[in-house]
Amino acid sequence: MSDVADAPEAARPITSRRDPRYEVVMYRHVGVENAWTLDYYRSHGGYEAATKALTQMSPSEVIDEVKASKLRGRGGAGFPTGVKWSFMPPVDGRQRLLVVNADESEPGSFKDRYIMEDDPHQLIEGMIIGCYAIQATKAMIYIRGEYVKGYQRLVDAVREAREAGILGKNVLGTDVEVDITVHRGAGAYICGEETALMNSLEGLRGNPRLKPPFPAQAGVYGLPTTINNVTTMTSVVHIITRGADWFASMGTEDSKGTKLYQISGPVKRPGVYELPMGASFRELIYDLAGGPKGEAKGFFPGGSSTPPLPWKDEYLDMPMDYGSLGKAGSMLGTGGVIVIPKEKDIVDAMYNVVRFYAAESCGKCTPCREGISTWLPKMYQKLLAGLGTREDLDLMEDMVRNSRGTAFCPLADACAMPVQASFKWFRDEYEYIVDHGRPMYTKSDWWEA
Amino acid sequence: MKVHINDVDMDFPQGTSVIDAIFAAGYDVPYFCSQEYMSPIGACRMCLARIGAPRKDKDGSWILDEETGEPKIFYFPNMMATCTTQVMEGMVVDTLSEDVKRVQNGMVEFTLINHPLDCPVCDKGGACELQDRSYEYGTGVSRFDFDKRHQEKHHPLSELITLDRERCIHCKRCVRYFEEVPGDSVLDFIERGGHTYIGTLDPGLPSNFTGNITDICPVGALLDTTSRFRGRNWEYKHTRSTGMDDASGSAVMIDGRTGRIERIRAALNPEVNKTWIDDGTRFGHEYVDAEDRLRAPMIRKDGELQAVTWEEAAATVRDRLSGLSGKDIGIALRADATLEEGVAAKALAEALGTGQLDHAPRPAASVVPAQNPASLTDLATADAIVVVGDVTEEAPIVDLRIKDALKGVTPPELMQHGVPIADLRLKEHPVFHREKLTVAAPYRVDLMKHAGRALQYPAGGETALFGALQALADAEGEPELDEGQRAALGMSVEDAAALVKRLKDADNAVLVYGGFVLATREAAASASAFGKAVGAKLMIVGPMANSYGLELLGVGPSHERYAYPDMLEGSRALILSNLDPARDPDVRRMLEQKDFLVVHDLFLTETAQLADVVLPAKSVYEKDGTVVNLEGRFLGVHAAPVEGGESQDFIGLVGALGEALGQRLEGRSLRSARRVLRKRFELDPVELGPEGHLHRPRSRQSARVAIRSREAVEGNVLVTPSMLRIEYLERNPHLLRLSGGPSLRIHPDDAALQNVADGDAVQLRVGGLLRRATVVVDDRVPPGLMLLPTLPEQPVGLARADLSTLERAERELEVAG
Repeated sequence: MSDVADAPEAARPITSRRDPRYEVVMYRHVGVENAWTLDYYRSHGGYEAATKALTQMSPSEVIDEVKASKLRGRGGAGFPTGVKWSFMPPVDGRQRLLVVNADESEPGSFKDRYIMEDDPHQLIEGMIIGCYAIQATKAMIYIRGEYVKGYQRLVDAVREAREAGILGKNVLGTDVEVDITVHRGAGAYICGEETALMNSLEGLRGNPRLKPPFPAQAGVYGLPTTINNVTTMTSVVHIITRGADWFASMGTEDSKGTKLYQISGPVKRPGVYELPMGASFRELIYDLAGGPKGEAKGFFPGGSSTPPLPWKDEYLDMPMDYGSLGKAGSMLGTGGVIVIPKEKDIVDAMYNVVRFYAAESCGKCTPCREGISTWLPKMYQKLLAGLGTREDLDLMEDMVRNSRGTAFCPLADACAMPVQASFKWFRDEYEYIVDHGRPMYTKSDWWEA
Repeated sequence: MKVHINDVDMDFPQGTSVIDAIFAAGYDVPYFCSQEYMSPIGACRMCLARIGAPRKDKDGSWILDEETGEPKIFYFPNMMATCTTQVMEGMVVDTLSEDVKRVQNGMVEFTLINHPLDCPVCDKGGACELQDRSYEYGTGVSRFDFDKRHQEKHHPLSELITLDRERCIHCKRCVRYFEEVPGDSVLDFIERGGHTYIGTLDPGLPSNFTGNITDICPVGALLDTTSRFRGRNWEYKHTRSTGMDDASGSAVMIDGRTGRIERIRAALNPEVNKTWIDDGTRFGHEYVDAEDRLRAPMIRKDGELQAVTWEEAAATVRDRLSGLSGKDIGIALRADATLEEGVAAKALAEALGTGQLDHAPRPAASVVPAQNPASLTDLATADAIVVVGDVTEEAPIVDLRIKDALKGVTPPELMQHGVPIADLRLKEHPVFHREKLTVAAPYRVDLMKHAGRALQYPAGGETALFGALQALADAEGEPELDEGQRAALGMSVEDAAALVKRLKDADNAVLVYGGFVLATREAAASASAFGKAVGAKLMIVGPMANSYGLELLGVGPSHERYAYPDMLEGSRALILSNLDPARDPDVRRMLEQKDFLVVHDLFLTETAQLADVVLPAKSVYEKDGTVVNLEGRFLGVHAAPVEGGESQDFIGLVGALGEALGQRLEGRSLRSARRVLRKRFELDPVELGPEGHLHRPRSRQSARVAIRSREAVEGNVLVTPSMLRIEYLERNPHLLRLSGGPSLRIHPDDAALQNVADGDAVQLRVGGLLRRATVVVDDRVPPGLMLLPTLPEQPVGLARADLSTLERAERELEVAG
């Protein structure tokens, strides 16, 4: 039903660049050779937004512009960015910090990766504007340790920018000071949670911290800190260039602008697609990604921590925005859609999810350490070994209920909620495995054509 | 803040945690991770409750419930950890409903799935928070039918502490304790998720305050190695008393069983030690139960010491003293004798007509501040602190209270249920405001790592240091210091001037000093004068538990030439209590010449072996009495039930002697001694509460007679304060193994010069005393100086070692072999 051409090459992310209906904004340089160099970026209008912000606007005007755009944080929680920036305390002589959360470790999410690899200057420009708005002179990028190429490109780009006078004491010839440090994580999912990220940045164990105090009051090293996602920062570049009205003209009532959606699983063209907020799942899955390869039975709407939804028209036609998914009992998350094929047994699929969270639990609080990290994977192993009973299913549901909403940070919920949803929509498969001692679907090879 | 807890309405100040509100209202919630005086972190999730609060509309008025017209309560979507939630105006807290109960049951079940439940063989059984909470809030049934996690069950974290990693429930109290209280981050979680365990990167726990983690561990994971497998909690007799190993007056709980002390724990005294004690106080009790403890009096018959009754021993003393005049008799007590024993000693001296009475060690200068004394609370709330010396060894609790000041959180107000369980002002990974603290010492001391300014001055240079600082304090405008004064500062003049300014500007500055300054009258006078010049309060750390009290009471000689140790030479007969001066061969020869020597001690020391009468003494744990700590706080000392044979304290000794003399001496009994104290201090020791009484009676006259000033020694050894009691170290096996024995710390160059190597066992004469020690080569020791820990007979300060007497023990063995 779509006239979109097939993927250009396997290693490149597919974006909607070829779809004439949508303009590609943040991903316009992704996939272009040498787009990561300063020369390329400048020759394509780079750093004009930063120049505009620094020379023609005051910091509070920048914040107002972002507020007016109704941009919401793209990291998953969807907190309004302009409001977050205005939480920074008044300038009092203390060092102020901007931290970019590039610890993109949610399974199903890979939008930030290609920006950092192919268009690092776009991120740097967004950070300059962000720093100017919150009047921070120091910014840090906490990049996922596994993103080696992205790290290298970012380090090179920061050096290039510094040499060109774009970073440093006099950014773009103004008296604004901004410098950026790129910091690699050591491979912990929990360090994508902002307070654990701050601990990790300080060299402490990656455990979440107590809130309040919120980062704006006492963040990294106790200093006022704002933490934003990579694509939140890159969105700001275009809000400044084209104005808040342009951004707010797209999307739905509570969710404005464009967003990078990711789609993975057995679809014809998995990848990252930039769409206005509120496009439907059907558009993403069928029009852009070419639809599932075989029969599908459900999908995770926004990364593995969002409760999966069944493959029904009412969900497929649902707009991908914060409010609609909340009403459906799920979340937009990072916008990473994972399609679940019909022949993948849900018990096995959920075990895969649970194993991930079990391994990533930091061990700080009881329900997550003992429930999610210890007990739940053992229960799945028991089911998959054919030793489960109907009572075990009740026990699992009860235990997951005890882990949900009781833990210190959202990691336990991120595991408990998808498990609960899998029980809600696919309980028949759980019952099948305990009744028959074997899974309903046994297909394991997903690599055939 | 008005808060409604179940069915109780109460008012709380802003910032109170909900868990404290619940306890104050008389309700209970289970918790494992919160701990008094430490940051709440919300890790165990046991204290969850259903919490709601009214909300305000945009116009500032409460949103009302349409049905009732009352402010509508909006409940949080999830159960909230009450330890990390603050009370809010109009908050409603529910800890009793079925929903809360279900979550509590679930959390107990989670906590227990990896806990071994080896309660029958666990030392904590019967006093275990997990056990209690599982009974109160669990279902009694586990649905977890898999293998539990298996980990190391007897992991020695140090010589003193054993960790059972299976029992650990990851409350993180021990990790946070080290980070927040002593500021020595030595423990942490290793691994993550279900594999998380407690451990250290390097072996051992390098801190003076490690034992406290065994008190706060909610389960039997961290145990005091010295008391492991020694008894059940319900078998112990718990005696609350006062720590007698330093001048801080820390509250301790002595747990005894079948006539032995099995362990010592910290007790609560909010204004003194809070709930912490140092390892010396906690683990230094094993000597009390040593095999060779004296249990009966002995008198020398036919050249041999033979056991007799107290009556016979007292009669012998009476008979042998009868021919002597008062000025021939000397009496000396150790400075951790109680006030009551001091009264008895004074009465005895009066009855014998002698002015040769003293307590030892007694420094050259007074331990009672002449002006403006600081309490420990003053110290904990100070905004500028100068420490001269090594308080971490001398009175370790002072070190911890300094760190309270550096954290900048004032001591919490007590609530209906006591110390707040979750003081939300305390944060994990606290920032220590080092700029408040200056530490000066002749060598690198532990507290320097927390000090904004750390300076090393030449040993013995205290007078010059304070002199130079005084010159800066007096100077108007540009200070002029000569070369000598600049050298004495150990820091730049600008730095020193900044320090003086900081002290002058501070609202609550405290100057802390101990033995190094007290060693000479000049240094103490210049320190006190400097304190006055900058308006700082003084905290003087005396050498022993009751140095302050015995000085206040006037247990001293009538003339400076009668002081200890001069009396050892001047008298013909001596009564020595818990002192062992015969370690000095010259003194030994002197004692051999005495007409009559009475030794009152726990063991047959070198001095006791020379005695004509040996009387068994009670240890500090077996006495009832009163001591005065370094801030002037009168504190009760209570006897633990220890099987000490016929041993008596000095009161018992005086009582027996008085009976033999046919005199009713003041201080013949505890009651009679206390009658004297009541009159003397206008304070009744019987009525002292568990927290003692900060009472600074106006000194009626300067009762103190100084020790005769000695010629300044050209010292090559600095006798340093020690948390461990070196005189008992050999009989404290665990501390001995931990410390490797008393150490002679020496600079590498000097070690090469003296031909000694690290680990060598050596002996040499220091200030006359024959000292045995293990060589520790350490480049932080100033060249030309050796460091050796103090003994009661060898006070802190500079001393002269006769290097020609230096012998290696191995060499002796070779000769012997």
